[in-house]
Amino acid sequence: SASPAPPGPVSILADSRCISNGVDLMSCLRQRHAATVHVCSLDGCYFIVSNRMAAERHSQSDLASMPNRKRLAERLNGLQGSFERVCLIVEKDRTKPGETSRPFQRTRFYDSTLTALVNTGVRLLWSSSPEESAGLLADLARLEQRKGQGIAVPLEVKGQHRQQALQLYSSLPSVNYAHALNMSHNFSSIAQLINSSVDDVQKGGCMGRTRAEEVYRFLRYSCDSFLMHTSKSGRSSSS
Amino acid sequence: METKAPVLLNAVPPYGHVISSDKWRNSSLLQSLKGVKLIFENELGAADFHLPNKSRILYVSECDIIARNSYKRKLVRYRNSNSSSFQMLVLVENTRVSEQYFPAVQKFVAFDLGLTLLPISGQTEASQLLAQMVMKDNPFRRSSSSRLLDPLVLALVQQVPGVGRAKALALLQHFSSIGQLCNASPAELEPIVGHAAAQQIHNFFHKSSSSAAR
Repeated sequence: SASPAPPGPVSILADSRCISNGVDLMSCLRQRHAATVHVCSLDGCYFIVSNRMAAERHSQSDLASMPNRKRLAERLNGLQGSFERVCLIVEKDRTKPGETSRPFQRTRFYDSTLTALVNTGVRLLWSSSPEESAGLLADLARLEQRKGQGIAVPLEVKGQHRQQALQLYSSLPSVNYAHALNMSHNFSSIAQLINSSVDDVQKGGCMGRTRAEEVYRFLRYSCDSFLMHTSKSGRSSSS
Repeated sequence: METKAPVLLNAVPPYGHVISSDKWRNSSLLQSLKGVKLIFENELGAADFHLPNKSRILYVSECDIIARNSYKRKLVRYRNSNSSSFQMLVLVENTRVSEQYFPAVQKFVAFDLGLTLLPISGQTEASQLLAQMVMKDNPFRRSSSSRLLDPLVLALVQQVPGVGRAKALALLQHFSSIGQLCNASPAELEPIVGHAAAQQIHNFFHKSSSSAAR
């Protein structure tokens, strides 16, 4: 299947938590950029723009504030576990009507956060408004689509059993929601995935080789029942 | 023809040092860069600075941006000069004068060339940022994820409808992997979870879940 994807609308998944402060952005994505946006429940507040790329959006002041950094680091590390590419869109703070826009005070802390993000391989993009952020998300999705990484399956999964299968696929280690969606559209049953070769996991999940190998190994991983019971506590009392 | 020593193009300074292109000597950027040792070099190729964390920096000034086009050639030359695993950064002066061009610059730097762009308001901010980059600590260092798979397997088995923690544990004692559990027949599952659940688990794995008919 080497045929180039038709330059149709791009598909973007958005976590439901992105809506609260992203109404403008969402409608801009749909209307001005003709993107197909599906809101679903991801495990954090972020967008998925391709099979391998996630994007978070933060205000500049959010990035500059002290208590958020640890949480941000944890979240981004988590995302890097299931996405090959992670982007952070830094958006200028919105000024309320009537308020004079204060120039952003750049601190050493802010600079060290930026440095750390760059060193960890997070891609930074800069935006001055929600509309511009929407444009960046659409551009990212389009670029990924051109590279053959766009989400090409329908963004919705219908039917209870399929939903449950999607849930199960999402709980595979290092598998992101886009991979899980691909799996639920490409495998005829859960058993088919479980019994697939590494090649087929890679193809069906639209994922990289290493990730497919990880899934393949995980499905065959033999649990140690002792380890499972230790979390129950109290049972293993040998002196 | 110029012959550039590749050693210099790939030179990584020791911690606390910055290798700077000769043309930055006497600049306000370097003058406000405190606590950092400078090494001047005129053979850095397209880059302006080399930092200890194996990154290279190109500085695009307000003037460069307003003059249009010439900065693009500079950026392409910079990108193409990357011979080894350097992190390629581009500092872009985003000022009141140049901000109208910023989206276009970002598009070129980040989307077309795939380089990392960091906006700064001028040389003073650039030197503050550089000073941070020369420091060593990284709060975002990735924790190597040598996580135990057993709890993840247990969690996945609990995604099967009707299977809670107790049933999942019992099942995994007999069928130690997800693969084995999936391929167990209802008859094999029955002694562990009972008839109804055995049937349900087997169906869950084998029922067609694809939207496309195969």
